[in-house]
Order: sequence, then C-alpha cells, then structure tokens
Amino acid sequence: MFYLKVLEITSLYTILVLGVYLMTGLTGLFSLGQGGFVSIGAYTAAIAYLRFGVPFPLALALAVIMGALLGFLVGIPTLRLRRDYFLLVTFGLGEMVRAGLLYLAQLTGGALGMAGMPKKVGLPLILASIVVITFITYSLKRSRFGRDCIAIRDDELAASMMGINVYAHKMKVFIISSAITAYGGALYAFNILFIEPNLFNWLESAKLIIITFVGGLNSIAGVIAASAIYYSFGEFFRFIDVWRDVLLAVVVVLVIIFRPGGLFQGLTLLPSKLKRKGR
Amino acid sequence: MNWNILLQQIVNGISLGGVYALMAVGFGLIFNVLKFSNFSHGGVVTLTAYIGFFLSKYLVANFMVTFLVTAAAGGMAAVVIERLVFRPIRRKGYPISMLIVNSITVAMLVQQFFAVTLGSDYYTYPNFIKETALHLGNLTVSKIYLLMLGISAVVLGALTYVIQKTKIGIAIRAASSDISTPSLMGVNVDFVISVAFFFSGVLGGITGYLLGMTFTVDPFIGSMILKGIIASIIGGMGSILGGVIAGLLLGAAESLLIAEIGAALTPMVIYGSIILLLLVRPQGIAGKITEVKA
Amino acid sequence: MEILKVEGISKRFGGVVAVESFSMLQQENQISGIIGPNGAGKTTVFNLITGAASVDHGRILFMDREITRLPPHRRTDLGIARTFQNIRLFGNLTVLDNMKVAHDMKVRYTLWEEMLRLPRVRRQEREIDDKARHFLSYLGLESYVGQKPQNLSYGIQRRLELARTLMTEPRILLLDEPAAGLNPHEVRALMDTIRKIQEENSLTIVIVEHHMELIMNICSLVHVLDFGKKIAEGKPEAIKKNEQVLQAYLGEEV
Repeated sequence: MFYLKVLEITSLYTILVLGVYLMTGLTGLFSLGQGGFVSIGAYTAAIAYLRFGVPFPLALALAVIMGALLGFLVGIPTLRLRRDYFLLVTFGLGEMVRAGLLYLAQLTGGALGMAGMPKKVGLPLILASIVVITFITYSLKRSRFGRDCIAIRDDELAASMMGINVYAHKMKVFIISSAITAYGGALYAFNILFIEPNLFNWLESAKLIIITFVGGLNSIAGVIAASAIYYSFGEFFRFIDVWRDVLLAVVVVLVIIFRPGGLFQGLTLLPSKLKRKGR
Repeated sequence: MNWNILLQQIVNGISLGGVYALMAVGFGLIFNVLKFSNFSHGGVVTLTAYIGFFLSKYLVANFMVTFLVTAAAGGMAAVVIERLVFRPIRRKGYPISMLIVNSITVAMLVQQFFAVTLGSDYYTYPNFIKETALHLGNLTVSKIYLLMLGISAVVLGALTYVIQKTKIGIAIRAASSDISTPSLMGVNVDFVISVAFFFSGVLGGITGYLLGMTFTVDPFIGSMILKGIIASIIGGMGSILGGVIAGLLLGAAESLLIAEIGAALTPMVIYGSIILLLLVRPQGIAGKITEVKA
Repeated sequence: MEILKVEGISKRFGGVVAVESFSMLQQENQISGIIGPNGAGKTTVFNLITGAASVDHGRILFMDREITRLPPHRRTDLGIARTFQNIRLFGNLTVLDNMKVAHDMKVRYTLWEEMLRLPRVRRQEREIDDKARHFLSYLGLESYVGQKPQNLSYGIQRRLELARTLMTEPRILLLDEPAAGLNPHEVRALMDTIRKIQEENSLTIVIVEHHMELIMNICSLVHVLDFGKKIAEGKPEAIKKNEQVLQAYLGEEV
C-alpha cells in the first residue's frame, strides 16, 4: 500500500519532469514558472469538475487545452527574449499565477486551497500516461523536432541559418511542454486530492530543471531514472527527507562539474542493437 | 488625493528601493563580467541575513561592527562560491546554461539548509536605534529606512569610485567588454573575477543585513533577489546607474501600488509592466543591445 | 542571370559604420570574392545578405525577389547558404545529424505525424538519412558519421560545414574565410573542392577571404572593401595591380 503511494507520487512528478525535459533539456529554454502551469492544470480540472459539473475526462482535456493555450499566449511575447530574460519573465509569470489564484478566492478557495476532488486518478492511469508521454517525447527526439531542438540549444544563429524558424519551433516546444505540465497538474489534483496556490513555487520549478540536468540532457531514460530516484528517495527516507534537497544540491553541483552529460548520460531507452541503422 | 500620504508612501518606498538598487548592482556586476544570471546572489543574501542576526544577538551588539563583519562575510562567501562552483565550469569551457543551473542550485541549497536547520523560528534583529521615527514637516520617516537609504547611497558611491578610478575597477570594466582584456593589462583574469565576486558578495552581505534588520529573518529572504533582478533588467543589465534608478523607481512604485490596489494585485501589475517593457525596449533604460557575432 | 543583386546596403553598429553603400551584382554560376583588410566589413556584408543582421539602408534581391526584410530562415529556404568564420557546427549532434538538420526545413511530415511516428515519418527519415550520407561521402566524410564535431580535426570540420550547406539545396553559397587555419596542402584541396562543388551542382559562390592565392585562382570577379566601402571591383589580375587596393593593404600581412 505504501509502495503504491510512492510509485504514484514519483510517477506524477516524473510526468512533470518530462514536460520540462522537452523545453529545458532538449531546447535549452529555462523556465522557473512551470509551477504556474501545474497549478493552472490542477485548478482548471478541479474547478471544472467541482464547480461546473464537467465529467472527469473532459475536465482533464480542458486542463490540457488550458495549458497549451496559456503556453501559446505566454510564448508570444516571451520566446523572442534572450535566455536570461526568459528565465526571469517566466519566474514572474509563475508568481503572477500564484497571486491570481490567491486573489480569485471565490473561484479557487484562495489560500485555503481546494479539496473535495474524488480520487479518479490511480496508478494505471498515471503509468499509462507516462508511457504515452515518454513515447511521444522519444518519437519527437528521434526525428526532425528533436534535432532542431538540440540545434537551437547549441547555436540559435546557426540553426536559423540552416533554415529553422527558431521562434516557431520554440513556440511548438513550449506549447507541448506546457500541455504536458498542465496535464500532470490535473492528475495531481485528482490523486493527491488537495491543491493550493503555493503548491508549486519557483523552487519546485527549479528542481524540475535541476533533475533534468542530473539525469542527462540527451537521455530520456536518464531523466526518468533521476526523477524516480529523487522523488521516491524522499518518500522512503522520510526522516532525512528534509535534507534531501541539500543533498540534491550538492549532487547537482558535482554532476555538472564532473559529469556534465548527466549522471545517467549513457542510458538509452532502447539498446543499440534494437535501433535501426543510422542512429 | 492626500498628497501627504502619497509622499509618505514614496519616501518609504524609496528607502526599500535603495536596497533593491544594492541587489540590482550586486547582481548586475556578475552579469557584466561573466555574462550570466547569478542566482546564488540570493543565497548570499539569505546567508548573511542569518550571520548578521547571530552576530548581533549573541556576540556583539554594536551596529557598526556587526554590519561590517557581515558585509565582509558576504564578500568571502561569494568568493568561495565562485571558486567551488563556477570556476571549474569556466575552466572546462562549458556553456553558460551550466553556470545558471549551478547558481540556482546554490540558492536552493542555502534556502533549504536554513529551512532544515533553523526554519521554524522567527528571528528578529535587536533594535539598534532608540527612537524609531523622525518627523520632517508632515512626514514621518522611520529612522531605519533613513539608515538604509543612507547606507545604500554611501556604498554605491564608494563602489562607483572604485570602479571608475582604481586599477582593479578598470580591470573589471575591461573584463565586462571582453573577458580577455585584463590579461592584456597584466592582471590575472581569475583574480579580477574573484574581486568582482567579492564586491558583489559585499553588496549581498549589506543587503542581507539591511533586509534582516527591516523584516524578520527566514530562509526565504533570499527570494527578494527577484526584486533586485527586476530592477537590474529595467535599468539595463549592464549599467550601475540604471540599476540604481530602476531600484529606486521599483521601490517607490511598489509602495504606491500596494497602498492603492493591495498586496495581492501589485505583483501582477509589476510583472505585467516588466514584460511590456521588455517587449518594447529589451535593453532596459540604460543598457545597450549587443548583437551576436557571426 | 543576375542571381544576387545587392543595392547600396549600409549598416551601423552604435556609432561605428560597418558597411556603407555596398553594391554588387552576382552572376549565376560565377565564383566571386570579397577581400579587404581586417575589419573592412566583409563578414558584415555576409550577415546582411543572409539576414543575420538587418540593413539600415539599401535593398537585396535574390533571383529577382526582394529579400531585404525576410528573416534568415526564409532566405535559407530560398537557396542562400553560408559557412561561418568561426565554425558553427552543432556540438551535441553527431556529424550525421548535423547534416540532417540542414535539410529539415524541406521535410514534409507534420508534428502530429511525428509524435505518433507514422510510416510516413519513418520513410522520410530514411530518405533524409540517405541524402545526408550521400553528401558526406561526396566530400569524403563518410567515415565520421557517428562522431561528434569536437572530435574532428579542424580541416575535417571545415569540410563538414561545406557538406552541410549542400543539404539546404542551395542556389548560392557564401563562404566566410573557408581557408582560415588550413595548411597550404589543405588550401589547395579546398580550391579543388570548391571548383568541383560549383561545377557539379551548378552553384554560384561568393567567398570572403584573406588568402590571396585562393581568391586569385578561383574567382572570376573580386570586390575590395576598406572601412566598409567598396574601393575596387574587377578581375583578379586587375585588382592585384590596383593602386588603392595596394594602399589599403599596406601594413597588412597578406
């Protein structure tokens, strides 16, 4: 029973990490505001279900659409900014979402948060989601989308000289990432059953980025492994749970200095023998 | 429209704005020299806020002494951070994103460390000043706020002097245009970077002390760095003067907004304005646009 | 036909005039050169033509179509390709992927098809794969397929940059100091390669260079820049004897 819970929580967070992986790991977009999208997804689904009687599957779909839409709107002005500014603006936007949720207390319950969601999301749905999202991420990474992401991350100017519409591509990445993140948020709401505006602050967003780096920028499996270890670690070792973040910080600093490809950099989802020629 | 209240708000806001200016400059210094956003600056602020507290509570109650020691501690902390966390990355020639990630990690480390060890308690600095308010005409100005403003002004003035007139200051400015120029001046680049971090850390230490004095000390005090970063952006990342003006403006604007529309909506207005500003004028008030060399 | 028409382009950076009223007419299938002392503005001209920088004044027409305000990736799509002074290969992609990226704008599957990895996607990926390998072996680089660029020698990297441009289906190649850092033997090989590429692919080529032997040997027309302005234009032999050109280079190592 306990292990089930651990698996559920770990998997939920892994979905969020995968969302960030596409943006930050592959494309080099750093956002400290992804927490905002988690909240948007969670609250959209919860409010639709509880306040408007929307059936659960539709509420989930609404959360995804909201995430994608918001990604698009946020992306329009911000994706042209340089990396540092993008980071800071997204930080600010995450805070704006938080402030907005607190302010619209009639709809969202304000600082008290929202509860009363039934447990519609169990392990099967979560695991199925991870499989699908991993498949999508992997497919994208293998073909044009992934190549262009990495090219943009490495050298934006050269990428545009190769014919890549950098802005349009970043927009696609951001929309997909935001949709995945919002989806994760919605799952969270109907699994953990309590949400509040401070749930996902900049620190949690930062952790998603950090775990991506630890896992390895070019390895989906590595990122999943790092996420699984980090989030289950906290559950298993509750008594030193509080030191978990300090430990993570030290590990990250060391990994970046000594093994910048990531802790699990060589890990691939499919062993080379199963892959087609040309990879 | 009660002008007195308005003016009061502005005055209050400006003193806090002085601290924002300190943060903006501390942040901007590293941005100029190493071209990345150093989030560990927030960690330095948090660390020194605690140091200042423990010093003044348990060791010495003298304001001047604790203040100076804290500032120095900030400088040293920053240098240590540079040595351990940033220099190895620079040496190996990794992309800037690695520096950013590590700086975020350090900030996280400091925050979580204090949350774990000391988190649940509130800490307040002892009161150094007997009478807390000064009356100028119709205005009531808190002495603490005046002190903050005064200190900020003195420190920034001193820094400007150092940057403009001393050899190391010139070396830092040279490094800002091109990291290799100090070596042409016969000055070791690593040394210049360490000095820049030291200055930045001293600013951070002063910030931590002032913030700790004004508000209670908690692990999240370093998140105030965001205000400093915003000021830095508005003022144009490269410019000290821009950072100062922007910091003061931000402080005043924030104070006014909170009074008019409340603390909940104020962040939204501020962030919204920043985004608009960045769209229209990406280089801020005083910064320069740099084109990528092909 | 005149495949590239540059009409009076100018560019300032802050207070510095980088290029002033530069014009040139480029004939199809011709190899031209742009020379000039360091800082004369040669790379800036390339940046303006490719869209990496925007002109302050003037017009640029490619195949009789105005491209002055077109963003860089659209110009590449039309057939303008370039190499860089400082090699700009993608360090985190293999040699093969570096090649494929340059062809990605021509790909015909959609994002949704890509996410589901439909047969159409797999088939086109195979085609891109074949095409990339083809151009790699065209320039003798087939043995480096799975490697990362930083593991390759400088000369090989330069050749890879050249091969990469061919993947964009170019009509015109802009080569920015392709001989920089190469030894005399490699320079001669480069000259042969450039000629071969030009003939076999009916390409137009413009080269920015310091290396006079290369320019004199393969260019049919040479433009000379100094302090952002064109000071001479003509056949290589004439340029060699031109007073102003010699003056501009006095004190410069050639």
